[in-house]
Amino acid sequence: MNNPLRFDVRDITRIAVFAAIIAVLGLPGAIPVFGGAVPITAQTLGVMLAGVVLGPWRGAAAVVIFEVLVLVGLPLLSGGHGGAGVFVGPTAGYLIGWIFGAFVIGAIVRADRRRPTWWRVALGCFVGGIGVVYAFGVPVQSLVTGLPLGPTALSSAVYLPGDVLKIVVATLIALTLWRAYPRAFGGAQVSTVSSTAGPVSAGSAGAGSSRAASTDAARPDAARQ
Amino acid sequence: MIAVYRPGSSLLHRMPAGLKVLGFMASALAITFTAGSVWTQPVAAVLVCAGYLVAGLGLREILRQVWAVRWVILIMLVTQFVFLPPVVASANTGRVVTIMVLAALITLTTRIPALLDATESSLAPLRRFGVNPAGVGLVLGMTITTIPVIAGFAATIREAQRARGVPVRITTFAVPLLVMSLKHSDDLADALTARGAG
Repeated sequence: MNNPLRFDVRDITRIAVFAAIIAVLGLPGAIPVFGGAVPITAQTLGVMLAGVVLGPWRGAAAVVIFEVLVLVGLPLLSGGHGGAGVFVGPTAGYLIGWIFGAFVIGAIVRADRRRPTWWRVALGCFVGGIGVVYAFGVPVQSLVTGLPLGPTALSSAVYLPGDVLKIVVATLIALTLWRAYPRAFGGAQVSTVSSTAGPVSAGSAGAGSSRAASTDAARPDAARQ
Repeated sequence: MIAVYRPGSSLLHRMPAGLKVLGFMASALAITFTAGSVWTQPVAAVLVCAGYLVAGLGLREILRQVWAVRWVILIMLVTQFVFLPPVVASANTGRVVTIMVLAALITLTTRIPALLDATESSLAPLRRFGVNPAGVGLVLGMTITTIPVIAGFAATIREAQRARGVPVRITTFAVPLLVMSLKHSDDLADALTARGAG
């Protein structure tokens, strides 16, 4: 059990389901981002949430699985892109950055195994979701396109406001999810089979978990408090 | 890039997936490292077109693939023309487009299961790091079957909220989606455990 890449059945299904969530967030019209007024992709939001909810190893694994499916040709990137081409195009570095980004986000949010705090989620998404992703993305983009590093970084800065917005949204979602369904964060990294009584949900006061158990949290209005 | 498999029986269709990927990697590297020469670009473009013709895909498919990467072309040209001389800018853009269109040829001539199998067998060297290739194959297959389920959850939530007049916001949408999906994941795990997995 010392190998962090040895996942049990519950981990495996969560990885598959989160990879599917990242895919669905990229489907056209699947998710209303600010009433559809702002054409930003929700896919990077899915990558951030994978790290926040699943932790470093499982989060990164979910991104890897999603990207392998893109690599073999499923048109799952937002805008219906997919295939080996995107991994040799200008955005290849960002895709690789997502994997490490999700890992760093998970590592920061889960640094202690207590409840996720807003500042830890925001910091994690900032360092992992922007810092790490751009650290991979910009140099690779510069390498692929032949444009020097400085101008490439300058042209990528266009996407920064959208990414900052996604950090805010990811933080809101993580905190609401914690209140509505603390089990979501269940299962320590190298967990045993039972994720119900994992250290995370055990740490939450009875109020949180019992409400989640009694309320049908899957009701779409559960998030409205 | 809308690169879906196009059935056929050409040489490229019959070639093993792994060989095609290796061939692609070699060509991409060759195009990149000889980019300094004036001849590289036209020769590479002709060879890529020849590849499409060998696969029985025709000029129309090439144009469709170039159209699919139009945003890459547009964004690259705009940023490159601002910072670089026009000749360099168009050569760079041409190189990226050529390689991307060539990569699409793999996806067009190989069935997805064959590529998944190739992925699985290429993971064999990672076994010593604790990666289980068959397990990865299982997760890949599970994800493909789960995507429609999650998309169904998304549609259900959207409709329920529209019916109740809930303002459309990403937070009120994503949280129920995550809760439903994670519950589905636990159900899947129970089903797998009941069948003796893990």
